[in-house]
Amino acid sequence: MALLETKNLSYRYGTGTPFEVAALDDVNIQIEKGELLAIIGHTGSGKSTLVQHLNGLLKPQQGQVIIDGQDIWQDKHTVRAARFKVGLCFQYPEYQLFESTVYKDIAFGPVNMGLSEAEVDECVRASAEYVGLAPEQLSKSPFELSGGEKRRVAIAGVMAMRPEILVLDEPTAGLDPRGRERLMRLICNYRETTSNTVVIVSHNMDEVAEFATRVLVMNNSRVAMSGSVGEVFSRYSEISSMGLTVPQITSIFASLRSLGIELPDDVFTVERGEKELLSLLRREGRL
Amino acid sequence: MIKDITIGQYFPGKSFLHSLDARDKLCLTFAFIVMIFVCKNFFSLAVMLLLALLMSLLSRIPARTILKSFRPILPIIILTSALQLYYNDSGTVWFEYWKFKLTSGGVFTAIFMAVRICTLILVSSLLTYTTSPTLLTDAIERLLSPLKIFKVKVHTLAMMMTIALRFIPTLIDEIDRIMSAQKARGADFETGSLITRARALIPIFVPLFVSSFKRAYELAFAMECRCYRGGEGRTRMRKMKFSWRDYAAIAFFCGCFAAVIYLNISFEHLI
Repeated sequence: MALLETKNLSYRYGTGTPFEVAALDDVNIQIEKGELLAIIGHTGSGKSTLVQHLNGLLKPQQGQVIIDGQDIWQDKHTVRAARFKVGLCFQYPEYQLFESTVYKDIAFGPVNMGLSEAEVDECVRASAEYVGLAPEQLSKSPFELSGGEKRRVAIAGVMAMRPEILVLDEPTAGLDPRGRERLMRLICNYRETTSNTVVIVSHNMDEVAEFATRVLVMNNSRVAMSGSVGEVFSRYSEISSMGLTVPQITSIFASLRSLGIELPDDVFTVERGEKELLSLLRREGRL
Repeated sequence: MIKDITIGQYFPGKSFLHSLDARDKLCLTFAFIVMIFVCKNFFSLAVMLLLALLMSLLSRIPARTILKSFRPILPIIILTSALQLYYNDSGTVWFEYWKFKLTSGGVFTAIFMAVRICTLILVSSLLTYTTSPTLLTDAIERLLSPLKIFKVKVHTLAMMMTIALRFIPTLIDEIDRIMSAQKARGADFETGSLITRARALIPIFVPLFVSSFKRAYELAFAMECRCYRGGEGRTRMRKMKFSWRDYAAIAFFCGCFAAVIYLNISFEHLI
């Protein structure tokens, strides 16, 4: 049984006004335990609306969200429980910081859960470590930190609730390449140490190809594709018809192959690309 | 919930009311409000009400939208009318029960008050419905420009108003976003005592202030980059000119005001 699934989920914004638009249309997804699911899709394809349903921030107009076999909208308590089971971190989460110290801000979620002081302390220190914050930074004001550090504090604030599923809406948006790389490594590390599920909404296909274990493609408020990185990115023309791209290395390899160079068509990460090119050069005796 | 507020909103259009000069509309609205309080009886109030209804027709704003703007002030109308019914015991007694007395004077005054408030709201919302905020502040700036001789910084005030109006929708979006983010961390805004609920607002307002200040700095910087340095020597993009419609509107309003004063003098009693 899937850890979380949605059944026939539909949602429309502005019902009854001339501005009515569909955001989700009969969406059925399953999230399995331990996976790193990447959700990709063009702007306005319904990704953000979908993730806000997963923890019960938005109430489905049609359909159900089921966690551990239970509809989260059964009563008030199940909705609140869903908030903590599915930790959602919005885009540009550094704007949600408000406390006087980093420690207190990370502790906001666990305190709301009603944990004891010792448990809160444990949660805060563990999640600060996951995001690479030094213990002495915990006593600083969050507003003294750099942009990248603020982002990591905000993510730690969600991790501290120990959610079974951590959902991150474009966690690396607006960071420099090194910051992106570092944050993605930290998130992967978190997933490996805790063996929790992570869901990432992303526009960066290189990141998706490198880190995701499964990819879900949203298009026009519907799920268009779902499968492994290879399965999704090998459907090059379909992906680009949805206004998306494949990883840069994949399109480079596609152009090389169209020049008649014999290279495989399932290269999605730079690491793999490097290996393939080196072996090609060796085969041709140029190395 | 926050997004349902329509007071102060602008509905673009091409009606007669939209085409009037903003300065003209502003002055006439002001005069109209003064005249409503000059009305002493139902006859003069009827003239004002008819004038207000005529304007709503000319604005081509759907009746539903106009009716919506009454919703937030409904409690005030009900309260004032109720107080009139209770405290006013002039005229004939229609009905008596314990301490409560329903008199003709009370009923008439209550209706008079309610109609007066409704007309007031109707006219002032018509002004903002049919005039874009930029035109409105532009008009205020021009109308107040004589105050410059007293060293009042009219341009700065008008610019502040324009910016404030411009950022209302942005701030509403921002509040929505921050609320969702804090709810995702288990914040609860709906239950608890008054003090708990007030405390629950801290996680919303601190981030809101922080980002507002940041936005203000960015905006100031962007304005300076485009060589903005206040009103001195600044030319205008838009010329405001009175057309025949504006003079016609003024003449018509003056006629109505004259009628109000005449009716006030001719009838001494409320009805």
